[in-house]
Amino acid sequence: MKKRLELELRHSFLLVFLLFPLPALAQEFSGYAEAKGFAYAERWQGRDNWGLGWGTLFSKLEEKLDEVQLTASLRGEGISSDGEGALIFDPADREIRRSPFSLRDFWLRIPLGPTHDLQLGRFQLGWGKTDGYSPADAFLPRDLTDPFADEKIPLWSLRLSGSNGALRYEAVVAPVTTPWRLPVLGSRNAPLTTEVVPAGTVKEVESSPPVIGFAALRTLYTFGEWDLGAWGRAGVRPAPLLEFRFDQATAAPSGLLVPVERRYAREEAVGVELSRILGSFIVRGEAAALFSRDRDLGDAFIGSLSAERGFGDGTLLVTLAGNARETPVDASQLFDRAILPAVIIAWNRTEEWGEWKIVWSAGLKHGDGLLKSEAGYNLTDLWKVTVGYELPYGQADGPFGALHSARRVQVALRRSW
Amino acid sequence: MFSIRIVRRPLCHLTMALLLSTICISLSWAGPDARALLKESESRHRTRTQLYAGELTVVNKEGKVRKKGWKSFREGYASDAKNLIRFIDPPEVKGVGFLSLARPGGQNPDQWLYLPSMKRERRIAAQDRDASFVGTDFNYEDMEEFDHEKYKVALKGEQHLDNIPCYVIEAIPVEKVGKSVYEKKILYLRKDNLYLFREDLYRKGEKEPAKRMVLADLQQVEGHWVARKMEMKDLKKGSTTTVLLKEIVFDRPQATGRFTLQNLNREGGD
Repeated sequence: MKKRLELELRHSFLLVFLLFPLPALAQEFSGYAEAKGFAYAERWQGRDNWGLGWGTLFSKLEEKLDEVQLTASLRGEGISSDGEGALIFDPADREIRRSPFSLRDFWLRIPLGPTHDLQLGRFQLGWGKTDGYSPADAFLPRDLTDPFADEKIPLWSLRLSGSNGALRYEAVVAPVTTPWRLPVLGSRNAPLTTEVVPAGTVKEVESSPPVIGFAALRTLYTFGEWDLGAWGRAGVRPAPLLEFRFDQATAAPSGLLVPVERRYAREEAVGVELSRILGSFIVRGEAAALFSRDRDLGDAFIGSLSAERGFGDGTLLVTLAGNARETPVDASQLFDRAILPAVIIAWNRTEEWGEWKIVWSAGLKHGDGLLKSEAGYNLTDLWKVTVGYELPYGQADGPFGALHSARRVQVALRRSW
Repeated sequence: MFSIRIVRRPLCHLTMALLLSTICISLSWAGPDARALLKESESRHRTRTQLYAGELTVVNKEGKVRKKGWKSFREGYASDAKNLIRFIDPPEVKGVGFLSLARPGGQNPDQWLYLPSMKRERRIAAQDRDASFVGTDFNYEDMEEFDHEKYKVALKGEQHLDNIPCYVIEAIPVEKVGKSVYEKKILYLRKDNLYLFREDLYRKGEKEPAKRMVLADLQQVEGHWVARKMEMKDLKKGSTTTVLLKEIVFDRPQATGRFTLQNLNREGGD
């Protein structure tokens, strides 16, 4: 009873933070409320619904304490599907399902000099190009509850960054593993092929991810129109390896019930990146070598080459990425390497009324792909309506083709403040 | 011998007088030199640093109004200018940052845009210099400080604009090192204080100006002339962006490291 009361009090506090600006405390307060609706092309095995509703309330507080920057943000949401977890306090996003409340930012940035900073707390890292593929960035944990959202999960970490002339560096230690969050296995967002699970359903076993996270060092040198970077990282890879425990399968009314466990492998990686302005293009190349002794993960040599060009108020980005090594298990079970080799073409443009974006990702191994598009119309400076669709296609054994039943259209209305 | 000298000296003086008169008359006929005017203008209005808060209003041809706000920091002037702009409003662009660093030898400046959603900066390529700057009628080239050294300039005459006498100067980009979006710019420089009053911008291959910038509400702030209202009209699209400059401060020391990529990438930073 006491525990329940504590839980209710905690949630009440979270709601108060989300709903009220707390002007006495805040230097700057921002956020948004969004209502989103999805309509699917079909039901998955007669279970998943035709439609899905998604409501989000997001609040962010930014305050300058002299030279120190404090940022805190919280997200509350409701999803009309079993992708949402129980109402529990999960500040490091380590639970198997996402909680209705999520701490997105909670960090301090302390200047150690004019061009050196120490940042500590929970924040999001960004080491790649949006809409493309970057080996440096791809391993960072994503929340695949919505498999098309490409949502990064913030990490509890400590970051030392700075610059000395044209040389910049960034050293990050993430002491706790924040794992990738997978969709409900067996749902239309993560269908299981019959070869893996002959019949019946799977039972996702809660497994505690390792406590230790990873450490990374990145350097970037800018000279003229060139940018040259190098990076290395070591530690626990946040994407899980799935173990289907057929030896522990039990009979259930619907057929076999196969437990699925998750384990996390250690991995070391080094990489280089080079980009420059070439005429009207920005050309970028990345290469990375990833090493793991884990039998199911193995080594990888991943490269990507991209060209970006502006067309008026629009940008076209073409990325080619691939892994030179065969994966020991089906690549779709390795998440960050699932789509390789692939070509990704992204075109976005800002218009007077808003903006639009089209992204075509084509898997070159299975001939499958994903076409997604969205257009956002600014009703006012604060109200925005967005419509879009996600259209996975191709063979069901490919990472995109497998999501055939998740084809959908969406509409969202957002009010910002 | 003596008599010869007597005769020669008046002749010499006469020759000198004639020569000087000719030079003076020629100069008065030619009027001021465009380069000299622009140099004088830069010399008069150069400030070491400038800070201001900008209130932007973008009105499209249908009359739809969008408002934005930014904070602008500048160090140096024209050929050695460093600029940092950080959007503070509305929520959809809050935190977007823009850094422009002048390069020597008339080269185009290095420019980067920081998008909070990306968590890292994006370099602006030459091709992007004509793209709209965060939904305004300014493009990335318009965000540069005007540096007359990068242009071939010529005085085209004088004209009254709003009853203000102005020098009309044609500036054609010298594209040996850095390319320009524009074929030429026509500058209207106030005769009384050599402050820029209007600028007509001609895109390549076009005979009519594509855009027009007007600087208005000229005031003295801390001993410097400054136009508190900057209006950029896209004459083809029919849209207008007006920037009202507030909280203007000149010649204050800037924070060390403000004009660096490290600072541009500071989420929630200035």
